Amino acid sequence: MSHSVLLSILLLAPFFGFLFNGLRFKSKNVQVAGVVGTAMVGISFICSVLLFSQLASLPEAERSLRAEYWNWLNVAGLQIPLAFVVDQLSAVMILVITGIGTLIHLFSIGYMSHDERPSKYFSYLNFFVFNMLLLVLGDNLVLMFFGWEGVGLASYLLIGFWFTDKEKAAAGMKAFVTNRIGDAGFLIGLFLLFGEFGSIVFETLNAQAPTVQDMSWNSNLTLACIALFIGACGKSAQIPLYVWLPDAMAGPTPVSALIHAATMVTAGVYMICRLSNIFIAAPNALFIVAIIGALTLLMAASIGLTQWDIKKVLAYSTVSQLGYMFLAVGVGAFNAAMFHLVTHAFFKALMFLGSGSVIHAMHEEQDIRKMGGLKKHMPVTHWTFVAGWLAIIGTPLFSGFMSKDEILWMSWHSPLGSWYLWLMGVAGAGMTAFYMTRLMALTFWGESRVPSDVHPHESPTSMTLPLIVLGVLSVFGGFLGIPHVLGKILPGHPPNFFEHWLDPRLANIPGLAQANITMEWIGIAISVTTAAVGAILAYRFYIIRKDLPEKVTSKIKGLYELVYNKYWVDEFYFGRIINPIVEMSKGLWMYIDVNFIDKITYWTSDMVKGAGSSVRSMQSGNIQQYALLILLGVVVVIFAVVMG
Amino acid sequence: MSELDILFYILSSMSVLFGALVVLTSSPIYSSLYLVMSMLSVAGIFMTLNAPFIAGIQIIVYAGAVLVLFVMVLMLFDLKRETKAFTKGRFSGFLKLVGAGLLCGFIAGAAYESVSLIMATSEEIPTNIAAAAETGFSPTTNSIKEISKLLFTKYLFAFEVLGLLLLVVPIGAVALSRVAGGTHAKH
Amino acid sequence: MQSTEALVSVGLNHYLVLSALLFTIGSLGVLLRKNMIVILMSIELMLNAVNISFVAFATYLDNLDGKIMVLFVMTIAAAEAAVGLALAVNIFKNFREVNIRFFEHLRG
Repeated sequence: MSHSVLLSILLLAPFFGFLFNGLRFKSKNVQVAGVVGTAMVGISFICSVLLFSQLASLPEAERSLRAEYWNWLNVAGLQIPLAFVVDQLSAVMILVITGIGTLIHLFSIGYMSHDERPSKYFSYLNFFVFNMLLLVLGDNLVLMFFGWEGVGLASYLLIGFWFTDKEKAAAGMKAFVTNRIGDAGFLIGLFLLFGEFGSIVFETLNAQAPTVQDMSWNSNLTLACIALFIGACGKSAQIPLYVWLPDAMAGPTPVSALIHAATMVTAGVYMICRLSNIFIAAPNALFIVAIIGALTLLMAASIGLTQWDIKKVLAYSTVSQLGYMFLAVGVGAFNAAMFHLVTHAFFKALMFLGSGSVIHAMHEEQDIRKMGGLKKHMPVTHWTFVAGWLAIIGTPLFSGFMSKDEILWMSWHSPLGSWYLWLMGVAGAGMTAFYMTRLMALTFWGESRVPSDVHPHESPTSMTLPLIVLGVLSVFGGFLGIPHVLGKILPGHPPNFFEHWLDPRLANIPGLAQANITMEWIGIAISVTTAAVGAILAYRFYIIRKDLPEKVTSKIKGLYELVYNKYWVDEFYFGRIINPIVEMSKGLWMYIDVNFIDKITYWTSDMVKGAGSSVRSMQSGNIQQYALLILLGVVVVIFAVVMG
Repeated sequence: MSELDILFYILSSMSVLFGALVVLTSSPIYSSLYLVMSMLSVAGIFMTLNAPFIAGIQIIVYAGAVLVLFVMVLMLFDLKRETKAFTKGRFSGFLKLVGAGLLCGFIAGAAYESVSLIMATSEEIPTNIAAAAETGFSPTTNSIKEISKLLFTKYLFAFEVLGLLLLVVPIGAVALSRVAGGTHAKH
Repeated sequence: MQSTEALVSVGLNHYLVLSALLFTIGSLGVLLRKNMIVILMSIELMLNAVNISFVAFATYLDNLDGKIMVLFVMTIAAAEAAVGLALAVNIFKNFREVNIRFFEHLRG
């Protein structure tokens, strides 16, 4: 089947699912809605696999399948066709999106079985998948922006899915508004790039990027890259626009798994990798990306140490891991970033779904202080969660280890990286190990603190099957992209398939020296040790000596309060930014709008009324006045005739 | 100055005078009587214009029928003499006077223009009635016979329509002033 | 002098000026008087002025059509007077007033 047909099916299947379930949004039939929704994404997954195989059969230099459907915009010399490109990069993305999407849709059938409006849920989910596919498949920035906005909308709709609860609705709003601030940056970047190169097509931009000589701070290119990165900050929850992601946990858990772990939040990383040549040509911008990524990973990990809500811990963990991905692109390791994107999708979606299973079993309880010892009651959930846990803390040979260590090595080795970036990454790894082990200990291990009226039990198969699949991927998925240094010592010398696949599509770091094997092994050793220390410490704190957390926090009360309250960032935003704007708006409304502008409109209407009433005085009902007017008319006519 | 001219001036001044009195008198009955006088003067003017038939029907129809009707209605109303006969408003009154005056002036001007135009285009129009009488303006040409000949040939349709009008009007008048139950009904 | 000649020997102009004067006086009556019946009488006066004008032209242009027109005008004037008076009688019966100042019901 030709690739354009496959592409159209790929895109239209979730769109059809959106319409089908959307038009039946009042239906309470979970089975129909869920099966249709899952089937549509499943069809997209099959198309993705077929397209991937078609792509793989092409020689390396020509791995790009383009399908143009029709002319979308034709404005003053700017022609934007509706064109989609499946190349190495987007093939990876569509496999992840549709594959994990199908699993999550399947999970949702069980999770949302008691919901009021399941059809609406599945229609929104399909709408999200459609837009995400548009985002990654578009061959130009405008089409990507279309999908960018669409996933933002889908995110808002899904976060505020239970909108009757004011807090949940507010969380949806927060996500959308913060996203929009980022979008402004994206647009500015788009305009600057168009102004610089005269095109918005990725291929053209990437090809023309090396021609730019000016790499200073205020070159158009650097400013464009910084603006685009601001867009990525909004979408992928980096400092300063990360505040929406923890609140987004108000949505249903499968939504958190799909959107806020595996796919939407990775759109920023994807965008930068798509424009890798452009970003490489602006090293100052890349520096900012790396710094922000590193700071974010540290800050989020530190907050994750203190949270008691299972989903919030995972949310901050997501922000932190996204920080790793941006750290990677910031030092030019686009490959490593994409690989971490894929493995993170595996284990984070797994853990979110697992937490969904736990929450479902605990009757919507999310506080881990009320959990414990769930290992006995929910074996499948527990063991799959263990797989995810081991992956994220960087246990050697698990998927997380393969990707994270590549990032840490590149942050040291790349000419765009530096030792302090590497150090921040290692510290983050240690904190990640600590808080994830803490989560495991408090939720699954140890004694049960479950209230007596709650009887947790294992979830149905429709919910455990995706967990098992993702568990397998978390364990073995790393072998797709084994770092070179490791591949040399393993039997059979497996190459880094992932890197080979993506290499032609991503920019090379200029001035990259030959890898120093010894340094690399030392780096691996340090990071693995740090992670182990973190895990063991957490185990000690929460299983062996449960009094230690209290003692430690009481000693560093001020610091603990600061971190527990998320560094007071939300309060700062509200106090210094949002409320002043609201007050200013109120002032503008009261003093300018009501007093001034409204007065102008009233004045206009009064004038019209006055004119009307003065003309109306002609119709007084007084016959003699009418006769007079007729007379005067006759006089005028005779005058005209006589004089003319 | 021939006799006809003097006659004209007397009659015209009478008609204007009585017409003015119609408007200026405060009692409506006096107004109607002055109107009768004015109409008789106008009949005389018609006579000077060599239109005896018209003069005749002016007296019969207007003075004899229409104004009698007016007087009857006024007697029915039994109105008192009005203290203020004219409408309120000095400015509007002034405007009305000015407008009417302008109208009069323009009509007169237009009349002079048109007459000189007519004179210029045609030679055979007599300039005054005395000359007209001398040039053999035969009275027979203005007789009833000639008028009725025209009426029944050239203006037949209009004549018939006029008959229809005269049928409709009394019906309308009766319909308007009907009283439920007839004139002898008790209200 | 020519002007006195024009003044003393009566021609078409004089009749037309007479007609204009009578017309004006009639229109002033319509405009200025309060009593409805007097207004109707002023209308009759105006119609008379028009009749004079027609007959004058008929005589001076040696055309009989003007006199026919006068016939029609008179008929219609009579008819109109009849209907108008019927209406006036009705009004008087209903409102007991013939002062047109009280009949501004069509005020906009």
